[in-house]
Amino acid sequence: MAEIQIVNAVKRFGKFVAIDDVSLTIHDREFMVLLGPSGCGKTTLLRAVAGLGMLDEGYILIGDQNVTYLPPKERKISMVFQNYAIFPHMTVFDNIAFGLKMQKASKQVIKERVENAAHLLHIEAMLDRYPGAMSGGQRQRVAVARAIAYDAQVLLMDEPLSNLDALLRLEMRAELKALLSRLNVTTIYVTHDQIEALSMGDRIAVMQSGKIIQVDSPTRVYDSPADRFIGSFIGNPPMNFLRGQVQTENGQVKVKIGDLMVTPSLEMQAPLRAYDGKLIYVGIRAENMEALPEAADDTLPVTVEVVEPLGAQNLLTIIIGLETIKVSTHPDFPVRAGGSLWLRFPVPKIRWIDYETGKAITPDLQQVLA
Amino acid sequence: MLFFAYPMVESLQLALRREGQFLNLRVEPVEDAAVAGTVAMQTELSVLERQRLEETLPNGRTRPIYWFEVETVDAAGETIRGWVSQSNVFIESRTESTSARVVSGEASQEWTLDFIRRMFNDFRFSSALGTTILLIVLIIPLQFVLAIIMALVLQSQIRGSNLFLYIYAIPLGISDLASGIVWYSIFTQRGFINSFLVSAGLRDTPFIFIQADNHGWMITAIVLAEVWRATSIVMVIVVSGLQAIPRDYIEAGEVFGANLWQRLWHIILPLLKPSLQVALILRTILAFQVFAVVIAITGGNIVTVLANETYRWYDPARFNSPNVAAVYAGFIMLLSLGISLFYLRAVRSQEEAAKAL
Amino acid sequence: MNQTTGVITSLSQQEFQAQHRRSRMRHTMRRGGIYLLAIGLAVWILLPIVLIGSMAFSTPADVRAFPKQIIPDPISGETMNFFLNTEGILRATGNSIVVAVLALLISTVLAVPAGYAIARYLFRGRDLIRLGILSVRAFPIVVLAVPLAVVFIQLGMFDQVYSLALMHAALTLPTTILVVASVFTSVPYELEEAALVFGCTRLQAFWRIVLPLSIPGIAASAILTFVLSWNEVFAAILLTITNRTLPAQILYTLDKSGDPFKFAGGFFMLVPSLIFIFFIRRYLFSMWGQLNK
Repeated sequence: MAEIQIVNAVKRFGKFVAIDDVSLTIHDREFMVLLGPSGCGKTTLLRAVAGLGMLDEGYILIGDQNVTYLPPKERKISMVFQNYAIFPHMTVFDNIAFGLKMQKASKQVIKERVENAAHLLHIEAMLDRYPGAMSGGQRQRVAVARAIAYDAQVLLMDEPLSNLDALLRLEMRAELKALLSRLNVTTIYVTHDQIEALSMGDRIAVMQSGKIIQVDSPTRVYDSPADRFIGSFIGNPPMNFLRGQVQTENGQVKVKIGDLMVTPSLEMQAPLRAYDGKLIYVGIRAENMEALPEAADDTLPVTVEVVEPLGAQNLLTIIIGLETIKVSTHPDFPVRAGGSLWLRFPVPKIRWIDYETGKAITPDLQQVLA
Repeated sequence: MLFFAYPMVESLQLALRREGQFLNLRVEPVEDAAVAGTVAMQTELSVLERQRLEETLPNGRTRPIYWFEVETVDAAGETIRGWVSQSNVFIESRTESTSARVVSGEASQEWTLDFIRRMFNDFRFSSALGTTILLIVLIIPLQFVLAIIMALVLQSQIRGSNLFLYIYAIPLGISDLASGIVWYSIFTQRGFINSFLVSAGLRDTPFIFIQADNHGWMITAIVLAEVWRATSIVMVIVVSGLQAIPRDYIEAGEVFGANLWQRLWHIILPLLKPSLQVALILRTILAFQVFAVVIAITGGNIVTVLANETYRWYDPARFNSPNVAAVYAGFIMLLSLGISLFYLRAVRSQEEAAKAL
Repeated sequence: MNQTTGVITSLSQQEFQAQHRRSRMRHTMRRGGIYLLAIGLAVWILLPIVLIGSMAFSTPADVRAFPKQIIPDPISGETMNFFLNTEGILRATGNSIVVAVLALLISTVLAVPAGYAIARYLFRGRDLIRLGILSVRAFPIVVLAVPLAVVFIQLGMFDQVYSLALMHAALTLPTTILVVASVFTSVPYELEEAALVFGCTRLQAFWRIVLPLSIPGIAASAILTFVLSWNEVFAAILLTITNRTLPAQILYTLDKSGDPFKFAGGFFMLVPSLIFIFFIRRYLFSMWGQLNK
């Protein structure tokens, strides 16, 4: 049982607050991704869990053990470092065996576990080599092998793929995911790459300015971002945000986008009523809008500025009022720059966002249940 | 380069060649007659016979010049006999005197091991060599331990590490003379240690650390002074070496369960090896040059080191022999070179052994 | 469920809190230990300096007194005054400054073009140069000084401040070249290329772009030369007789001098290093870091 609890964690560097009252529970055997732009505190949080930088306030528990102020070696953790941290003066074998040797494991156990880890990462043939002449991908494998050979309850990974080139990263991503799902170890994986986060995590904790702003499954984070920041940080292209005005017509709340009136779903009626007459943001993903070649009901006529064929889709740049949005269409959809088309906004795919705070407007659970 | 090469050649000449004057005794009273024997300056000669010859001067005139047949005992103890010209000897009366003294001769240069012999035979030599080596053996390990501790402290992300760095680096600019005086003020009879001991009531009278039969304390004071002064340079080299080691390596050591000692032994020291090697060579070589600290603390007579002997032999007010000084200098040079090569080989062979495994 | 901490644990709240405090205490003590060590090392370095400083500012009577006081009472300039007014000291100080400044000028003026050439054109040979420089840096002054003294006597340059300055410059030149080269290397070549594109000559580009950016590093290495020359005593005592530098003068008269003279002299020699090391502390590592690469 190795659940990780982070409770009210605070870490300051001088006046700068790197982790600002963060609480997060990572379940046993869960693959948790910490996602955020650089400087958001995700690596600081991971290092706090590793014991490489102690918290100023709050608690960290691994399993049932309070590890907040324990040195790393007493935490039963293992780690893959961003720059691999493969010791250049040791052979691959000695690198993988390092942790076991420090624990004074028997020769037999060391040999067994090193060979097993090397086998899982397909580096059996390199055990006698020094890391000096190895490629980035091979070092990466050694780093992972060292981490899994070590007897630990928790595996921490600090942007492990960020130093690989694009192709290798793609390959390693899938391999790592398969490997980790077999190992069944509680994992915290730090990355700034939203695709890695979406494709690998059981859950994603999105961080910004030292706070966790959303913890959810990859699909939830993608489809229902908690705020404007997450919507624009996750997904490529980022979520579109259009200005809309809330109006009440015959007791029904509607949102006016350009000349188009959109009627929010039933459970959104109540929360949006509070915004009557105010501006809000209408968040919608590029692939969730329907582009029609001719006018139809509930559509907004627009002019296409730029067409970017991306192979699997065409990405259109469209200006509506003051906002530029991206719309993706099937490659066969007939369109050219300067041409017109009609957009439809499917209501269930829309995320309503408070204009001032940038937070998603969500139905009050109590009211929905009632 | 020439600036260094020329003095080196000069140094070799000084050490190995005697420039002197010798007088050759001739078988006949003629300038370029065969040599009958050689005598040193100031040798007393007994005059057996004399001959008056004419010498032609550049302006065409002539003047009388006497040649003497003389007998003396040469350096090897044998009696030799031959002719010398009056210009090379001091004689009271050319016509009467029966004895003369050699005052000039032919400038001669000869290769000799005399100066080297004189160095080895000097009663201070073995003590100087022994003390020098003893100091190196005591000082260098202490310095390295201290420097590594300083470097680790500076690297452990403490507040004010800039201030600590500055403080630790201060001795970098302190000369061995100043350092010697500072530690003299601490160890001298009326110095700070005795002030403390007596004030605290631990002793009634000052303990005399620096005296002839207290070798151990004098060495201790010198060791402390040198460790105090010259650890900074090692610290700076170690810190810059440590900065070149990615933090990751040390953190990986921590995560994978290595304690401080294991991290030091398995990760930090092996990766620091090139820096340590440089520091070790530099420190050893510089250690041979220390002498002002020895003079400042002990006066340089009872406890002496090789560099101090070099100065003593050179000093016009004392032995005034640049030749022996040059031998000392060369000896220091050979020792430095030998030790550097030894360090380089020792470190390299370790690496090769590791690769071969 | 633990209400106050929000931590879910099998321990009771008190047990958990108590254990948390203990482990925090252990951590604090570990950190505290490092600070203690850091401060202990600082005291080891500073205490002797404070002691000699306090002697330098005591009255001569207090200097001779036993037991000594650590804090001078009264504070007095008498001892320093006596030292500075001792015959030959002011002259020797002047000589020291002249020698150090000359050495600094010679070695800097020579090192700048040489360092620039190495930084920009000689990347291949850098390892060799580094090795050469290390060996010269390690070259015993003792070994050089004796034959040089003899050579200087032959050339009629003996007992001159400029010949000592030459010697000091030669000793520090290799290090200075290396440091200056590394300073130039850290100025991106693109900046120079940009200057060339916008109409500078090579010399102008160097003068207007590279030099201003390198001044602090060059100054640091110049200061190091100054400090080395100021401190150097072996060559100084061998190469001069009447024109002694300060350390040579003090060393020469050491056995005939009383404690007040010695302590004031020791402190006086030590002061420049306190100041200069402060100014170049940031550059120390780039200077010595070069040697181990």
